[in-house]
Amino acid sequence: MHFFEFSEELTLLRKAIREFVESEVAPNADEWDKRDECPVDVFKKLGELGVNGIFVPEKYGGAGLGHAARAICLEEISRHSAGLGMTMMTHHLGLYPILHYGSEEQKNKYLPDLCSGTKICGLAVTEPGGGSDFNGQKTLAVKSGTGWTVTGRKCFITNSHNSDVTVFTAKTGEDEKGRSKLSAFIVERGVKGFEPGRKEDKLGLRASVTGELVFTDAEIPDTALLGKEGGGARIGMDGISEIGRAGMSAIGVGILRGCLEEAIKFSNERILYGKPIAKLQAIQFEVAKIRTDYEAARLLTYYAAGMKDDGIPCANEVAIAKLFSTEASVQAAKRTMDLMGGYGIINEYPIGRFLRDAITSIPSGGTSHIHQIVIAANTLNNFQP
Amino acid sequence: MGVKIWVHAEVFEGEIADVAFELLSKASVLAKSIGEDAKVEATLVGCGIESKAALLAEYGAVTVHMADDSSLRLYSPATYVHVLAGMADAHKPDIYLFGATAVGTSLAPAVAARLKTGIAAHCVDIHIGGEKELVALVPSFGGKVIGEILCPVRRPQMASVKPGVLVKKSPAPVPVNIEKQELSSLKLNERPDVSQLEPVKTERHPPEGLPLKEADVVVCGGFGIGGSKNWQLLEELAQSLGGAAACTRPAVDEKWCEEHIMVGTSGQSISPKVYLGFGVSGATHHVCGMSKSGVVINVNQDAEAPIFDVSDFCVKADANSILPLLLDAVRPDGKADRRE
Amino acid sequence: MPYNVAVCIKPVPDPKYYDKVTIDPVKKTITRTGIPILFNPVDKNALEAALRLRERYSGTVAVISMAPPEGAEILREALAMGADSAYLLSDRAFAGADTLATSYTLFHGLKKIEKEKNYLFDFVLCGCESADGATAQVSSQLGEWLRMPHLWNVFLMDAAETGKAGGEHEGNVFSVKTKIENGYMEWRIKSPAVMGVSRELNKPRFTSAMGIVKARNKPITLWNRADLSEADDEFLGLKGSPTQPGEIFAVDLKRSGKFLTGTHEEIVKQIVAIMKTNGILVGD
Repeated sequence: MHFFEFSEELTLLRKAIREFVESEVAPNADEWDKRDECPVDVFKKLGELGVNGIFVPEKYGGAGLGHAARAICLEEISRHSAGLGMTMMTHHLGLYPILHYGSEEQKNKYLPDLCSGTKICGLAVTEPGGGSDFNGQKTLAVKSGTGWTVTGRKCFITNSHNSDVTVFTAKTGEDEKGRSKLSAFIVERGVKGFEPGRKEDKLGLRASVTGELVFTDAEIPDTALLGKEGGGARIGMDGISEIGRAGMSAIGVGILRGCLEEAIKFSNERILYGKPIAKLQAIQFEVAKIRTDYEAARLLTYYAAGMKDDGIPCANEVAIAKLFSTEASVQAAKRTMDLMGGYGIINEYPIGRFLRDAITSIPSGGTSHIHQIVIAANTLNNFQP
Repeated sequence: MGVKIWVHAEVFEGEIADVAFELLSKASVLAKSIGEDAKVEATLVGCGIESKAALLAEYGAVTVHMADDSSLRLYSPATYVHVLAGMADAHKPDIYLFGATAVGTSLAPAVAARLKTGIAAHCVDIHIGGEKELVALVPSFGGKVIGEILCPVRRPQMASVKPGVLVKKSPAPVPVNIEKQELSSLKLNERPDVSQLEPVKTERHPPEGLPLKEADVVVCGGFGIGGSKNWQLLEELAQSLGGAAACTRPAVDEKWCEEHIMVGTSGQSISPKVYLGFGVSGATHHVCGMSKSGVVINVNQDAEAPIFDVSDFCVKADANSILPLLLDAVRPDGKADRRE
Repeated sequence: MPYNVAVCIKPVPDPKYYDKVTIDPVKKTITRTGIPILFNPVDKNALEAALRLRERYSGTVAVISMAPPEGAEILREALAMGADSAYLLSDRAFAGADTLATSYTLFHGLKKIEKEKNYLFDFVLCGCESADGATAQVSSQLGEWLRMPHLWNVFLMDAAETGKAGGEHEGNVFSVKTKIENGYMEWRIKSPAVMGVSRELNKPRFTSAMGIVKARNKPITLWNRADLSEADDEFLGLKGSPTQPGEIFAVDLKRSGKFLTGTHEEIVKQIVAIMKTNGILVGD
């Protein structure tokens, strides 16, 4: 057993990202939230720093680092703007299937731009009739000569209105038992019959865009098929379970750290009865709980990321981390608000935004209930002490 | 042989910089504490400056070592180091003082390196210690710590002193005695570093209004001012009070004001009768430059701001809730009277 | 014309934590335990200037530091920012150096790099001062040891007309501006030269993940006293420093800190009264 410690390289990465975030993200995060606006220009700059393609090999234009490195980036961004963290995490979620299931041609075509920051990626799976019910998707792709004709509607899609490249799943047939066969495709912005629909007015994570993507007899070529025909369910679920949830977990860690830092600052500065409230045990208990949750979420998140980097299947560990980290971030934001008293609800302080962001992160990548189902299934079948 | 205390008199656009007189005043004090055989001398380099030597004599320089030549019209470290190091080599001063101006900061350490001796930088005070040696007081860690610097063996003992921290005392004039340095022996035009570096010109835009150092009341704004609009109020307030506006580093970074009014270790040192701060956090770098103020009043909404530790009077409030009210109260148009 | 540029870097205690600096009252030493070390901020401007020279004219960028072994961390950061090679001069024999001894040690480090790489430096760039000591002396003194012309507080640096492509001094004459009180001085400087640069010179780039990965294969060469065989002990470390530290004092600037209370209007009246008591003519 080794003492858990980040490598010199990851420590330097954290320092570098932190420096960027403190200079370019922190001062604007409130404004993006207020204006419900995704800072595409900052996203581009993050591409130049290598964050957009952090786990993509260098030959495709990525940084060639891994998933622990990705978690560091998302934590650092989300400490100040979980909304921007959400945009980045979804971008990773979209490009991951291209990296892992794409043909060499598809990888060479899409990954360099997605890594450099010139293009934004997204993943469209969820539909009005099927989010948690993964196979309930109704979007249909029908073979048509040289390609596919797609019809249907995806909803709650992050990066819906600003992604240039979207990976989506559609029903391409049924098996002998009558169950949907899903396939994954890559579609680019501007294809006729493919357009964003309504844009949602979200509670939190407002520096990310969430909305609908609508297919109306959209024609896409055969080369748009990602992986094998019928392989869409696996491609979609793989991305969501090991990339989407891992990303949400890291965002939760970022929010937790934001809360912790605000709590420390406020309780040291706020004077009541002639001394800082940090001297009061009631306040200390809250700070201790937030700190403990932050450390626990951090360990779970980087533990799962380390497994992913070592090629060990980690869907269950990621689910545990995501469930804990996002729920803990809601609690931490609430606790910080509580110790701030009246100041907590004033929008001059970021804590209200943190609470909204934390709550909004719960349904992303599966609600807490879905996560408990995943964890329970794994535990009841496979638990080995 | 007597102890020689040298002061370099910086010439800027034909005039001797004030810090030279501050240093000469201090040098006389040092000479007194060393003993009767100690004397104060000055170095003067430039073009058409001979008449200025008399001013140095008024401040007690018994000998002025002068190099007056058209090639020295503009400051260049290449030429000036050769000249000053040459003079020091010939006359062996025991102590050699410079003003820590922009020019002095570049020149003094280079002279020290040429003479292979020690120099204490940006001193806030100097005195003579028990062994009749120079003791220089140097701030570090943004003024949090003051350390003594000695130069026990090598000579001269050198120091650069910040302008404005030493007191310019009423002079004890002596007769003018100029010792001219011949330049030909230095063969300046044969030196590669001289031929590689050509000073082209000097551009200066002295700020309008009362110089910060001369103001009885300084109104200082920090990051808590929050914007350039509020900054205008602060400047109006300074003007209404007949004082000057000053700032901290973040206010410069936000481009609300110019760097020349920055107070602190890398800016100016001030000692007004009243220092009135708005939204100043109190970073040690800043405090070091304002700690000699008479009365210190600060307005900051953070009750724990370090600036309150170094204030006589504290107001816990948003700077911008007090600033306009105070401006109304002090405007000379009598608004304050109408209020009452 | 390609340039070989050296950048001198100092690891410093993070200025954000200077309020945690204390003095041991018995040993008279400065305690800075727990304060993280940082890339001296303005040294990043020097590195940025070097990287831009390389981007525009090609060439090499070497970074050098005289520091304890932990300083390697900062050099690694410089490599990740884009420097080609890094040199750490570290030995107990170098410790306790004043600016003269520091610049002497750096001078011998630079000479050794030139010897090993078989080239000569065209520019040696430094930050104009360090955040901790802030003596601002090393760049000028380094220029003296190197026998190169030196400028301090450089905020603008551009190829001079005659130094531009096709010009009489193509590539090696620069037009440079240095900050002075309320203005600037303009210079023409021909390489090789030493410059102490100011924070206004440029905006240093952010370190990228790609840069961090690339830095894996870039060397950090560690040299000790024995490696600088040409250097003379007379000018190294504490013993070779003409200046010696005496007493150190914590500065106590504490004042009474009386809080004024009441409505904002009442507070303003109190402020006016205090100013009047202290000899300021208010509203008269």
